[in-house]
Amino acid sequence: MSAPRVAVVDYGLANIRSVVNALNCFEADITIAENGSALADASLIVLPGVGSFDAGMRGLNERGHVEALQRRVIEAGVPYLGICLGMQFLFDGSAEGSAAGLGWVKGRIERFPSGADQPKVPHVGWNEVEIAPSSNLMSAMVSPADFYFVHSYYAPLAHTDAIASGICDYGARFCAALERDNIAAVQFHPEKSQLGGMKLLETFLQVTA
Amino acid sequence: MSRIQKHRLIATLLVHNGDVVQTRRFKPTNNVGSAFTAVDFFNTWTVDEIFVLEISKVDTYLARFEEIVEGLSRRCFVPLTVGGKIRDVERVRTYTRAGADKISLNTAALVRPALIAEIADQFGSQCVVVSIDARRNADMPSGYEAVGDRGKAPSGRDARAWALEAVQLGAGEILLNEVEHDGDKRGYDLDLVRMISDAVSVPVVAMGGVAKWDDLVDGVRQGHAHAVAAGNIFHYTEHSTKKAKEFMAAAGLPVRGATFYKVAMPRRPSYRPF
Repeated sequence: MSAPRVAVVDYGLANIRSVVNALNCFEADITIAENGSALADASLIVLPGVGSFDAGMRGLNERGHVEALQRRVIEAGVPYLGICLGMQFLFDGSAEGSAAGLGWVKGRIERFPSGADQPKVPHVGWNEVEIAPSSNLMSAMVSPADFYFVHSYYAPLAHTDAIASGICDYGARFCAALERDNIAAVQFHPEKSQLGGMKLLETFLQVTA
Repeated sequence: MSRIQKHRLIATLLVHNGDVVQTRRFKPTNNVGSAFTAVDFFNTWTVDEIFVLEISKVDTYLARFEEIVEGLSRRCFVPLTVGGKIRDVERVRTYTRAGADKISLNTAALVRPALIAEIADQFGSQCVVVSIDARRNADMPSGYEAVGDRGKAPSGRDARAWALEAVQLGAGEILLNEVEHDGDKRGYDLDLVRMISDAVSVPVVAMGGVAKWDDLVDGVRQGHAHAVAAGNIFHYTEHSTKKAKEFMAAAGLPVRGATFYKVAMPRRPSYRPF
């Protein structure tokens, strides 16, 4: 089997270095896609992201990634892994801003409530994820598995009921991972989650369209 | 309500003039750079985070330090906190570019506290660790004074008041060390750790003086620390971080599970002697 051609989507804002460093440990041909045309011959697409929703969507639009992602992921069925903001972009929009998301998953991203009786926002640190038996991405892992999170916004389970493959509890239960056809996305950072995270990336790299 | 956050075990790496060293009372004692490979520090995979701190007297070795940070970030897939010589936002940017997830600042914040807010504004509080080196001082309201310049420069600031101010300014975490305890193998200064942990609303990382695994447990149980860090002890004990973690779990502390997954990483960068 030849090495997968992995495009890591760069939209100019997020620090994608950690993700690239992690992917570089595997037999894979990694390309940093600075614009949409660089996604054309990728066999796998990874969209990492830290930052704000609106600025991120603006970057994706300006660099032609939105169209290219639509064509490659939705029309051509290329396997996609979204990380952190790369998960939130899949939705219609986010409470963090007013930009339209990719709209591949219905519903909006919400903010963790703040208040004296609420856990601190942002949610930073290791937390347990309950893995659904249906998960392919985390099928090699023992549930619950610990992953590293850094975020203030989350995908509500109400929008992801049928596709949630990982659930985390931070004051309220939220969707930590989702899988639908060729689309997978995680709120946590596999590239910072040690062996568990590397196992997830290894599994994704073995996915074929 | 949320479940209890897991207590983190943090490995601390001190870099002096480009070499990894052990310290005692903030003075480098011996060079463990050559022992780097023997240290399972980076490959037992049980440590939850790594802090790497530059402690040279001069700026001469910063470029080399950045290379070390970059090297670490290529093979350590846990959150990496980087500290040393941070006097402005530009240095923070340099460290994050080299692979830091968080930065740790100390002396410059004592000199100019607004720096904490400047960094938090641009990078978020989750990125800002304020490191406090305290020393017993009966003239201070809390009994401890914050000291700068690697434990040498009294700041005139009460350690507890400084911790509260740092959090107010945007510190997301406090790294706490007591100068006399550093490298002294008598455990953390539990009075200090408890006082600061109980005072602030952000996680406190206890550091300095760990000689046995019990000290880690005491840091959490008696010191109320959220996370426990150690450096020296990890350097010469085989499978040390794994043993430390197992000890914490056996003591009943909620810690991250250390499930071992076999992952083939054929292209993971090999060790590069710095």
